[in-house]
This record gives sequence, C-alpha cells and structure tokens, in this order.
Amino acid sequence: MTEPAIQLSALGKRYVQYRDTPTLVSAARGLGRRTRRGTLWAVRGVDLVVEPGLALGVIGRNGSGKSTLLQLLCGVTGPTEGRLRVRGRIAPLIAVGVGFHPELTGRENVFINGSILGLTRPEIARRFDEIVAFAEIENFIDTPVKFYSSGMFVRLGFSVAVCVDPDVLLIDEVLAVGDLGFQMKCVDRMRQARDRGATVVLVSHNLNAVRNMCDRVVVLESGRQVFDGAPAEAVSAFHRLIAENRDPEGSEMSWGGRAVGGRAAIGNVELIDADGKPTTIVASDAEVTIRLRVRALQPIERPFLGLYVGAENGTRVYSDSGYEHPMPALAAGEERECRIRFRPTLVTGTYSFQVSLADRKERSGETVQLAVGPQILAFVTGRSLASGVADLRAEFDDVSTE
Amino acid sequence: MTDEVGPGTALLDLAGRRTPVHELLADAWRIRSVVLLLARREFVVRYRRAALGSLWAIALPLLQAVVLAILFSRIVRLHQPHFFVFVFAGMTAWGFFSATLPIGATAIVDGSQLSSKVYFPRLVLPVALVAANVYVVIVNSVILLFACLVSGIGLGPRTALLIPAVALLLALTLTLSLLLSALHVYFRDIRYLVQAGMLLLFYLTPIFYPLQLAGHLTLIDRINPVTGVVELIRAATIGADPHTTSSVIGCCAWIVGTGAVALALHSRYDRLFSDLL
Repeated sequence: MTEPAIQLSALGKRYVQYRDTPTLVSAARGLGRRTRRGTLWAVRGVDLVVEPGLALGVIGRNGSGKSTLLQLLCGVTGPTEGRLRVRGRIAPLIAVGVGFHPELTGRENVFINGSILGLTRPEIARRFDEIVAFAEIENFIDTPVKFYSSGMFVRLGFSVAVCVDPDVLLIDEVLAVGDLGFQMKCVDRMRQARDRGATVVLVSHNLNAVRNMCDRVVVLESGRQVFDGAPAEAVSAFHRLIAENRDPEGSEMSWGGRAVGGRAAIGNVELIDADGKPTTIVASDAEVTIRLRVRALQPIERPFLGLYVGAENGTRVYSDSGYEHPMPALAAGEERECRIRFRPTLVTGTYSFQVSLADRKERSGETVQLAVGPQILAFVTGRSLASGVADLRAEFDDVSTE
Repeated sequence: MTDEVGPGTALLDLAGRRTPVHELLADAWRIRSVVLLLARREFVVRYRRAALGSLWAIALPLLQAVVLAILFSRIVRLHQPHFFVFVFAGMTAWGFFSATLPIGATAIVDGSQLSSKVYFPRLVLPVALVAANVYVVIVNSVILLFACLVSGIGLGPRTALLIPAVALLLALTLTLSLLLSALHVYFRDIRYLVQAGMLLLFYLTPIFYPLQLAGHLTLIDRINPVTGVVELIRAATIGADPHTTSSVIGCCAWIVGTGAVALALHSRYDRLFSDLL
C-alpha cells in the first residue's frame, strides 16, 4: 500500500494582526499585560489526504486561505494547530526565481536554487543541460539574471523547480506567465511529473487550468474547506459560493430605463442545458436556456425581458432585450414562465448572467425597468486556445494551393 | 523536521510550533552545501563588479587596521612596546567583529526574499553571512603574524593561541548574530541598536589601550565579550596580560549564554519568522 503524499489533520494557521509591527518600546510597555491585537484564522480545520500521483486543485476567493495553505505545505510557516505531513522532496513554485540573486549569472543561480530545493551539486550538474534547454535561455545562461527579461527569469525558475524531479510540486498561479508555448510546455511537464508518481498541488484562479489539470479539487472559503471532490462539481460549488456572497444589488443594468421597485419580481432563475437539466458549466457551442418566472405586482402593459452578460473582470460582454417584441400585457398578480435562449460563443471562463424585466410604455415608448433577477455565474468551456472574451470562431486556412 | 525515509525522500512533519533544537541543527547540517553557496554568493557578489575584484577583500580590512594602528601609535602615545602590533592585534578581532555582526544581526530579514518561499532553518542565513566574512580574520591574522616577524617579536609556541582566539571570535560573532537576527525579525530597532552599540563598543574594548589603563572602564571592559578575544590574540603575539584568563572565561560565558538563548529562540520561532517578514 502506498502512504499518502500529503496528510493534513485539523490543520489551522492563525495570524496575529498587528495594527503596527511591534517595536522594542511597545513590547516593553506591553510586558505584564495582555496586548490588544486581533487574530485571524487564515486556515482552519483542514483535513486532507492526498495520494501520490494525484493532481489536487485548490480554488477559492481572494483571502480564502489558498496561499497560506500552500505556505504551510512547503513548510515555510508552521501550523498553529493540527498536523501536517508531506512526504518527499517538495518543489514550490510559489514565486518562481526563489533565491535568484540579480548579480549572479543564470548558471550560478541554478546551482544555488537547486541546492535549496534539496539537490546535491552533482545532481544539479547532471540536470543542468535539461534545465537550461527547458527554460530556452541557452545564450544567456552566463549572463547575470538582472539583465533577464521577466519572462526569462520566470522560465528559469520554473525550469529548475520542475527539473529537480520533485515528489510534491506546489504551484501558485505560475501558469499565467510566459508565452503560450511555454505555458503548454509547463502543463506537459506537470502531467509528466504526475504520471511519474509525483503529487501536484495547483492553487489558481484559473478555473479552466484547474479543471483541465486536476483530478480532485478543494474549495476553500474563509480558511475552511467547503468542498472536496471532482473538478467539475468543485467549479459549480465555487460558483454557487460566489453567487451567494455577491452583493445583492449586483451590477447596474445598463441597457436603458430606470429601476422601479415593487412593481414586479423575478424568481426561479435557472440555467438549463440542452437536456433540460440545471447546470453551471456550459459549452460555448451549445445552446443554453435561462428559465425564469416573472410576477407582476402591478399591471404591466408591454413587458419584455433583458439579458446582461458580464465577464469576470466586470466588463459587459453582451446585453440585449426583447424590446422589439414585447410579451402580452400582465395583470396585477399574474405570473408567467419565460425563457431566454442563446449560444454563449465566448472563450473559456466564468461569466455572469443576469435577467431583467422592463415595461415599454404604449404612449411614450419610454422604457421602465421593473425588476432585476439574481446574477447567475456559469463557467463556459470554450475552444482551448481562444482567448479574450468573444469567440469569433476564426478558421485559419491556407488557400494558395486551391 | 525532515527525516530521511528512503533514498531521496524526506518527510515534513509539522505539529505544534516548536522545532526541536536537534532537528533544527540536523536540517541546517543537511543543507550545509547551501550555507557554503550562500556564503560564496555573498562574497562573490560583493566584489563582482569591482575592477580589483576580491583584492578589495584583502585591502579593506588591511587598510582599516593599518590606518587605526598608525593613527593611535602616533596620537595616543602610550608607553606600550610594539604599539603597532599591539593595536593590530586588537584590530584583528575588532575588524571581523564590526564587519560581521551588523550584517549577521539583520540576516534573516535581509534574506527574506530567499526564506519566505522555501523552507530551510532560518539560522542558516546568519551562519552563511558569518562564514562569508571569515576571510577577514584570515587576512588580518596573516598580516598580524607578518608584523610580529618584522617588529622583532617573532613567533613561538604561544603563536598557537591564535587558533583558539580565532575560534572564540567566530563563535562569539556567530552566537550573537543568531540571537540578534532572531530578535531583529520582531524588533526592527535592533539594526540601529547594533550600529550604535558597535560605535560604543569600539571604545569599550581595549583595542588601542591596554586593559590596565582602562581606568573607570575596567569593569565594562571585562564584561565586554570582545575583550577576551583581544586579550587572547595579544597573548598569542606580544604576550599575555594579567587579565587574559578571566576575560577569556568571560567571553566563553557569553558564547554559551547567547548560544543557548539563540537556539531557544530559533527553536521556538523558526517557522514563524516568515509570518513577520
């Protein structure tokens, strides 16, 4: 039987929040009395057993304890309570280029970095060519790293970390660096490491990377583990979490009209896939449906729905409405089920979808906004290489031979 | 913390906040090659861009010692035979101590770029900085012996005392660096307190005056741990002073005391330093 690579039991880390860093004077004054200072559990009650050869993803909102967990895993900081066991050589990629000294050459830094990661000098010498080739900096290996571009710096750091053949590879957001070619090389390398039996822990905001790379995903919220399971379900759980914590006011609708309270309500909003089942993960080339119920509290002459789609960074991706084709009038207290169908031709990522109800006044043609639905977050899986926001489905043909 | 459990595999096992001293030392020993690399890095980087390169490493301590020795042998006219050797003996100890302690005392904070990302016992950082400066003692000792020959004092069996003297100097600087570097993480005033302390300590150490002439300072001189090292170096060169034995014992007491407190602090706070960096 194999022993677990990572074993955490009731792990907790508490930070003391100093209003100021203590000074000799304040410490001397504080002697003999309890100083008033806040504490914060960055991570608490985390239980986790990870088998070797598994890629574990850790996702969570900012400040949910992801980075603290990673710091605990690489031993930089000790737990306040509970126990942590990590078996094997640990290579952290928390910030690459760890211990790189700007005045020293790439070669010298590789040796220092490799030693800190636990290799002996001959072991580094044996891997040296591989490290340099992987980082693609053959011509600059004897140049002081302060002359490196940030990309070269990061590539060399990553290269050392993966080439030391770690048993446990800890990765924090580094996939966001380097050009696409290098990123894909890194992903390949991580897969190789995992296939070789290494354990990979990937902490990321990039849900797509986590979904593609990981076998199992943990969702952290306020330092606690709120989900542990399959990647797709974890992404859904994470979205539910964000949706619950959203400011109920949400983002302003911006397709014209004024919000008027107490005249209508929107409820039971659900995202439905092609099979008619509620979902939070949709493919960019499949039709999806938003199903909802509207209820008029006062008579509505010519009701129509609006749809607003926002990207993760808050920019408006799309907004549209049924202004041109309003629904029949609604009497006070009347309820109706509606649906909005569309194809989310977007690149991979998390998007918010929000529905609204408005009235188009018969006489003036004025638009009056009546109700705004809750934001629904969904993860769109697009084509792997497309990036940006909209997927224009470009095709790249060579027509010279036709 | 990391116990070997097989070829190339290690086990990180953390529970509670204390790192037992023996594990701390075992960990530091396991990465001794890193200590040497860091020490060499420190040394190489210091002189890399200079045209004269590591020649400065010899020239600077030499210049400092020679200037002070000449200055004091001209201005402070003490009836001290072989005054240059007398002062230089003091400068051999002081030159290393004053060049090393200020950087050793801030080593953990200054090395945070390195230590906040990967784990290794933090005491490695001050140790590496002390190691990087060992050349200063060696250079000064060679010059001191040369001065003994030139001035006609000559060398003898007592010259061998230079070895325990240097050992004492290294041990004292190391234990003080370990202690202060741990405190400095919490109390950033330490950096300036050390600088101010060095200024005072220079005059409170019998470098350019013999211990007998210290007057009111005698008591402080004898509490001062550097006095023991200076006296032992003098015993190795121009001959022992009546207070040598007691001051050497005092120095040893300092080393044991600061060493014990330093290890206790590192054992307690090793894994918590990064939280405050």
